[in-house]
Amino acid sequence: MSRRNAEAWLLALVGVAATIAYVSVYAARFHEISRDSIVTGLIFAVLFLVIHLTERRYLPQADPYLVPLAALLSSIGLTEIYRIAPALALKQGEWLAIGVALFVATVLVVRDDRRLETYRYLIGAVGLVLLALTFVVGTNVNGARLWIRVAGFSIQPSEFAKLAVVVFLAGYLNQNKEMLSVPTSRLLGLHVPPLKYFGPLLVMWVLSLLMLVVMKDFGMSLLFLTTFIAMTYMATARIAYVVTGAALFVVGAGGAQMVSHVHERFAIWLDPWKTASGSGYQLLQSLFAMADGGVIGAGFGRGYLLYANHAPTVPDLQTDFIFSAVANELGLAGAIGLIVLYLLFAWRGFHIALHASDGFSKLLAAGLSTVFGLQSFIIIGGVTRLIPLTGITLPFVSYGGSSLTANLVLVALLLMVSHRSMVVEAGSVTERLRLAELV
Amino acid sequence: MDRAISRVFIVGVVLMVALMVNVVWIQVIHAGSLRRAPQNHRVIAQQLRVKRGLIQGFDGSTIAGDAKRSGFYYRTYPQGPLAPQIVGYDSARYGQSGIEASLNGYLSGSAAGTQGLIDRLLGRHTPGANVRLTIVPAVQKVAQSALGSQIGAIVALDPTTGAIIAAASTPSYDPARIDLSFPALIKNPDAPLLSRVTQGLYPPGSSFKVVTATAALNLGKVTPTTPFNDTGVYDIYGGKVTNYHGEIFGAHDFTKALTDSINTTFAKVGTLIGQAALIDQMRHYGFYQRPPLELPLGMVYPSGRYAGAKLLSTSASMNPLDVAWAAVGQESVLATPLQMALVAAGVADAGQVMKPYLVQRVTSSRGGVLSQASPSLWTTATSPATAQTLNVMMQQVVNAGTGTAAALTGIQVAGKTGTAQRGASNVAWFIAFAPANDPKVAVAVTIENTLFTGGDVAAPLAAQVIKAALAQPGLP
Repeated sequence: MSRRNAEAWLLALVGVAATIAYVSVYAARFHEISRDSIVTGLIFAVLFLVIHLTERRYLPQADPYLVPLAALLSSIGLTEIYRIAPALALKQGEWLAIGVALFVATVLVVRDDRRLETYRYLIGAVGLVLLALTFVVGTNVNGARLWIRVAGFSIQPSEFAKLAVVVFLAGYLNQNKEMLSVPTSRLLGLHVPPLKYFGPLLVMWVLSLLMLVVMKDFGMSLLFLTTFIAMTYMATARIAYVVTGAALFVVGAGGAQMVSHVHERFAIWLDPWKTASGSGYQLLQSLFAMADGGVIGAGFGRGYLLYANHAPTVPDLQTDFIFSAVANELGLAGAIGLIVLYLLFAWRGFHIALHASDGFSKLLAAGLSTVFGLQSFIIIGGVTRLIPLTGITLPFVSYGGSSLTANLVLVALLLMVSHRSMVVEAGSVTERLRLAELV
Repeated sequence: MDRAISRVFIVGVVLMVALMVNVVWIQVIHAGSLRRAPQNHRVIAQQLRVKRGLIQGFDGSTIAGDAKRSGFYYRTYPQGPLAPQIVGYDSARYGQSGIEASLNGYLSGSAAGTQGLIDRLLGRHTPGANVRLTIVPAVQKVAQSALGSQIGAIVALDPTTGAIIAAASTPSYDPARIDLSFPALIKNPDAPLLSRVTQGLYPPGSSFKVVTATAALNLGKVTPTTPFNDTGVYDIYGGKVTNYHGEIFGAHDFTKALTDSINTTFAKVGTLIGQAALIDQMRHYGFYQRPPLELPLGMVYPSGRYAGAKLLSTSASMNPLDVAWAAVGQESVLATPLQMALVAAGVADAGQVMKPYLVQRVTSSRGGVLSQASPSLWTTATSPATAQTLNVMMQQVVNAGTGTAAALTGIQVAGKTGTAQRGASNVAWFIAFAPANDPKVAVAVTIENTLFTGGDVAAPLAAQVIKAALAQPGLP
């Protein structure tokens, strides 16, 4: 079976699963929610068909699992959002449409991911500008400055900056990996690469700390920093970067403790019970909701997630805490299932990286997979109290347009790497010629 | 580069596995304690969204009902607080007590059997089942107002079935205001939340002489006419037993010893029968067992000999002076009003103590009967013959002894007074049943912290409750 036919079958399966989930929510809550929202479901199906057809035309050899995984995650997210706040589901559907448009645009405009390497500094700069823009014109929500408002839309630039930074790092590290691997000077008894090559990486570190202190975006700061360390390690295979990075992180985190916002997050993590009706409330409600789910949960639409006034029992349930909502309604089975889906996604991503045909593509795919997997880990770990809670979105599942669209672009980039490596491996002459024209 | 990439992926797998282990911890291993955490109000909040079953009196009237406010149900008490310590409170903030707690499964609809399963599959809430108690509101109201501002308890039951028709305890509280008053209630030294009927452990004093008499009559050590001589003091084992207020009764028979409540004679009888027979008789009346009422376990205490808060074993050693004082209901013997009512009920029902119960019937919101009381024997106290002998002797207590204040015109009451000393004041008792020839109701009245005797302050209240109970068209 061709890769695209395999994907079509998988997508059809996702469609069946999504329909069952929708019917379950509707059957449980028909007295509260409107049947019109079935439109959202249809939009959803059409949009993934558009992605599939785009792949058939432009990326026929791309990995057949990533898009069905993204579709399954989005349908879980959309169903859960529909169940928590029906009005938001339609908005999320709109965002999905924008995301698919961006996906198609990325495929059509970029065509070959290696072109991005040429523009690495420009893309890196765009990422910086996006973040800087948030410093300047951003709005504060929950004590953190994460959003800018454009034409009535709230955009979270860090979600897009995340992609730009990975592209920049992949390009920069690919160009300089040899130099970075060879220590030439000594600093405090340690062999360090020349500052000229190391400098831009230091800028990344400072950027992460700035995000933490100025924007109070603990989650994104942690994500940027760990991605940066992981990518440097993958490029140079030098564990010293991990050690240094970890040390810098500890120093940064120690310093960050002085920021009250971060200090509080740590205090809640260490003992949420002490502030059970104050700052620890949200995390405890998340744990209580999960404990209620048990092994199989009550089913979609049947959990106890909303008060009588339709306020969620866990604040921010449809965004940061959506994992708790799924864990409540689908129980341990759903929670483990969701984690397995993220693991499968990361596995496909790393698989693509390992089979990529050139250094930049390898680093790009590995970096994108890292950032995706880490983001899932940071937020799931946060709402389950494995690590301190940092507010970031759960990829594809949380309500939020920027996250959804940015992650669809991430999928597009991974598919491009995958497609090209398959073509090179297969050695198709016509494809190579076609690609050669493009490069 | 590939090796480093693989390693990063392996680290990622480890992190994801850590997440999985963590959710297993939260949702399975630690789930129970998270659900029970006092900070977790999810279970109660969910129950507040479901119409809670009614708690009704035996006559079908509502004791605890429902009203709805902004999507949540809350309890109403259309008859005011009726047996609130037994019925219990239902608070989102402070939890539940009494029947509200022990029958929460039925009342909240979570234990609704097949219908509950169907409702769950359809994502519906099962409305709570209605609980009909054996408490008769008319009798309960008389008992509550009879106690008035005194501290004490009154319990009335049907000796032929064991159904509890009234259980009053004072001071009391208003369950409708529990969310506001709870902090003050638990600090109140008079313990308004305490169900004195089932949790109040008092020295039974002379009311316990019925138990001693049963043992002595059973063993054939005495008959109602056995002669005794009282000199006002009984010396034994280096100590002495004296009469209430130092009275001296001279020559008398065993019946008069009961009717005039002569301590020295009962102390002698105690010596006569010995520790083993006395404790054995207590067991046969239900002492040393928790009466199997449909209340939370901690709300019903067993009676017996206590050391501090601990129930002593039936074989705990006693010296002859201990036995002599125990035989008159002092020493370390403690009994709940319920247990002493069961003693009266045992005599009334030809020596058979029926299993006490509070719940007559549980019916689902659709009318199906989920549970129905069926009276059964709890313990056999004595033979019908001995019971009949005691019945006649206890009639004499009311007709010509210490219990004349319990007499009713047209109804022969049988009873026994008790006045136990506790600290500087008395615990006044009266246990009784009526009509003596065909008993329909057995009662125990306990008044704490009084300067009067059982015959003075407890007997008249027993008469009021008996009269009210016998005026009822039907009892459980």
